[in-house]
Amino acid sequence: MMRDAMLKPLVPALLLLAPTAVSAAESVNSGGIAITFFIVFVAATLAITWWAARRTHTTHDFYAAGGNISGLQNGLAIAGDFMSAASFLGVSGLIFGFGFDGLIYAVGGLAGWPLVLFLLSERLKNLGKYTFADAVTLRLAATPIRCLAASGSLVAVVLYLIGQMVGAGKLIEVLFGLNYSVAVGCVGTLMIVYVCFGGMLATTWVQIIKAVLLLGGASLVTVLVLAQFNFSLNQLLMAALKQHARGVAVLAPGGLVHDPVSVVSLGTALVFGTAGLPHILMRFFTVPNAREARRSVFFATAFIGYFYMLTFVIGFGAMALVLGNPQFADATGRLLGGDNMAAIHLAHAAGGPLLLGFMSAVCFATILAVVSGLTLSGASAISHDLYASVFRPNASEQEVVRVSRYATIVLGVVAVLLALLFESQNVAYLVLMAFTVGASVNFPLLFLALFWRNLTTSGALTGGVMGLVTAVGCIVLGPTVWVEVLGNAEPIVPYKYPALFAMCASFSGSIVVSLLDRSARATRERAGFNAQYIRSQTGLGAEGTPA
Amino acid sequence: MQDIYRQIFKDPRFHELQRKRSRLSWTLAAIVIANAAWYVLATAFYPEAAFARFWGQPISEGTATTWGIIIGLAQTVLFILLVLYYIHRANGEFEVLKEAVVADALRVAGKQS
Repeated sequence: MMRDAMLKPLVPALLLLAPTAVSAAESVNSGGIAITFFIVFVAATLAITWWAARRTHTTHDFYAAGGNISGLQNGLAIAGDFMSAASFLGVSGLIFGFGFDGLIYAVGGLAGWPLVLFLLSERLKNLGKYTFADAVTLRLAATPIRCLAASGSLVAVVLYLIGQMVGAGKLIEVLFGLNYSVAVGCVGTLMIVYVCFGGMLATTWVQIIKAVLLLGGASLVTVLVLAQFNFSLNQLLMAALKQHARGVAVLAPGGLVHDPVSVVSLGTALVFGTAGLPHILMRFFTVPNAREARRSVFFATAFIGYFYMLTFVIGFGAMALVLGNPQFADATGRLLGGDNMAAIHLAHAAGGPLLLGFMSAVCFATILAVVSGLTLSGASAISHDLYASVFRPNASEQEVVRVSRYATIVLGVVAVLLALLFESQNVAYLVLMAFTVGASVNFPLLFLALFWRNLTTSGALTGGVMGLVTAVGCIVLGPTVWVEVLGNAEPIVPYKYPALFAMCASFSGSIVVSLLDRSARATRERAGFNAQYIRSQTGLGAEGTPA
Repeated sequence: MQDIYRQIFKDPRFHELQRKRSRLSWTLAAIVIANAAWYVLATAFYPEAAFARFWGQPISEGTATTWGIIIGLAQTVLFILLVLYYIHRANGEFEVLKEAVVADALRVAGKQS
């Protein structure tokens, strides 16, 4: 095992898109620096968890941090949830590899946020308690809709979790020289400790610290890179296109995806997926009122927008400084560790081993924070939506918190096992599929329940199931799984990104069946719309306000 | 609670509030979706479509920066500004109106009981 470890580079090879073999050890001291930074981070977050655990007693503490998080804190935490290692390393790697088209992830991902603010966040805060299913079941039948919402949430959470865990395993493997399964086990254990003991309070603070570190580190890299080009973006781009094989064309669209249907479907997943990710929707319940909910989206949007601008400079900076630099290329001229390592190599090129070690540790902290947030939202889907609302409506507060902790442990173990199973999977694709499920199950359900009087339980259920089945079906039968994983010759569904079809299926199923629904329950549900609407606008009757 | 909701529903200021809020939300949402769609479609149909062709052009002779890059960065800034504008209206004007509607409804409901 030692020899294995020696053969791996100490530069973290977070093989997000194309796992490739990497060559000899790069620099021992940056690995040491990374480990030091990382140990400090873990120690600090464990201290926070200990502090948070003493304040976490009720379900309200566990799921919503007592509702005492401020708009700025929540904004940072939301930004932290969203700025995963897949966004940072993946998007900068895509810009590095494909130029302009990599930006679609940035613009598409950011566009989801204003939409969440204008349409969902404050209404969600006024209607719900701990999960978005609370808001939807105010007038729709609780049992079937909660089962649907929990399924959508769990599928999205598990896909996202596998993606992050695989990335974390690869990173820690090269940092510590631990083998992959031990590495994934360590991540799983830390994440279970944070969530189990510290609940939402610890998860939020871990997320805030990580967001500050990531924004700080990326800003530093950006400033150091721009300094080499007299702070002129134009000079940086000039230098970048000289290095890239496609030359001037890297600054124009058209390098990444060629078929229009795929591009539009990809855009749909990016824009609407955000509004359907359960770990992000859950964050609106940690603030005291609608006013703070809105402020948190403002801070989140500003931080994420800023972050993508940094990613843009880092991607093209890597093209200018890392591409063509023999120090970072293997024998065949490819980038060491694949395109996803572009940002990490750039940190090395711009700031030496110290910055390299720091950014490696930050990337790892990022993954740890994101998986904690995901696990918490998965645990709340199991314990709050399924256990406390469907199976045991009379369960005591203590019992529900206990079930949440068991659910956390189970999810952690499942995530570790799946990460072992999917070791060689394409991480960015898994994350995108989580967005797809969010956009085609959770988002249509929430959107129609909030805005469309005629939505009924049967309609929502039909649409949700159609969305989920289409999304999962297209993923399994599409080129990535059917051909690349299962080894069949031809994909049954030719499109790689199914979000467009799945979202259309979900919306049309919900609308058609709701309109045909003439049952007494449907009439009652339509009649309940006004009360729900008034509450969503005024917050009157919302959790935590005197009725 | 149902009484209070009925009371609010009778208040014309509530309908004014929800009309203003909806108009603002949907206008801003349409701007965001149009921008995102423009971006996605330009990527999909470059360089055939007219709305996408100039994206690959440099902004002036001798510079590398293209219109596409400027548009992408400008959209990022635009999204942040739209969010800021919405917060300004919603946390100011709308919140005041909402407080007034709720306070009146609670007072009337209190008198009746």
